[in-house]
Amino acid sequence: MDMQLKRGLLDVCVLAAIKKEDSYGYKIIKDIKPYVEISESTLYPILRRLENASQLTVHSAEHAGRLRKYYHITPAGLERIAAFREEWKEILSIYQFVTREENENA
Amino acid sequence: MHKQNFLAALQDALYGLPQSDINQSVEYYSEIIDDQIEDGIREEEAVASLGSPDAVAKQILLDIALPKLVKAKVRPSHTLHAWEILLLVLGAPVWASLLLAAAAVLFSLYITIWAVIVSLYAVELSFGLGALFGLVQGGIFMGTGNIPAGVFYMGAAIACFGLAILLFFGFNKATAGLIAVSRRFVLWIKSLFLKRRKAQ
Repeated sequence: MDMQLKRGLLDVCVLAAIKKEDSYGYKIIKDIKPYVEISESTLYPILRRLENASQLTVHSAEHAGRLRKYYHITPAGLERIAAFREEWKEILSIYQFVTREENENA
Repeated sequence: MHKQNFLAALQDALYGLPQSDINQSVEYYSEIIDDQIEDGIREEEAVASLGSPDAVAKQILLDIALPKLVKAKVRPSHTLHAWEILLLVLGAPVWASLLLAAAAVLFSLYITIWAVIVSLYAVELSFGLGALFGLVQGGIFMGTGNIPAGVFYMGAAIACFGLAILLFFGFNKATAGLIAVSRRFVLWIKSLFLKRRKAQ
């Protein structure tokens, strides 16, 4: 898949993974992995980018005698998901147009 | 490899970055390994799944903005003595111009890569326009009864068009390659800053 496109999509995936409740690095990866290929080293810059964009906030909480970082979605993050859903409608209609052409040729 | 070895190697590979960035990276990977172990994965396997510390560090570097990296590098490792400041000021005409020249050379190399991309598409555009004009001109000659000239222009137009189509695919491949080169070039500049710091 196009790198730039996948980058943007993974941003939204990570936001979606923390939408319902705060989550932590390893769990985010485990939640996303069945749907999209994502690795620990891909997630790290995404989390930092989203934090810099104020689409999520980070807080540490104790877990099993150590600190774990939990990520919490902000209103700006929720907006990003909403914007993605709007964009997706457009992409979907483009997809339908493209595959319709193919079906006619077949 | 054990968790502590991995984290120590990662810390080494990131040497030269602001300490807060290093800590943040190390904390992140430490937490990931701990969570994997808690999930029932053996420590060595958990560490191995992350890739080599150098590869992980490279990915982190690639995502840090160049200006931030330069700033981290330029910050002196100890407070400067008066004589050092004096030397810096007196030597400014020499080192400032050398530094500027080095930056200009690197910048021009970067621009060159993009200039090649622009010129590739300019060639593509000129073939496209050549085909269009050849077609129009050929049509005019045909219309005015000058059949040989008309055929010649039409032929030239078709040749231009064919070249444009063929080159388009080649140029797209070349552009993708050049963009990859420019990315690697930026990464190389970044690694230059980090290695020089480490050698001090």
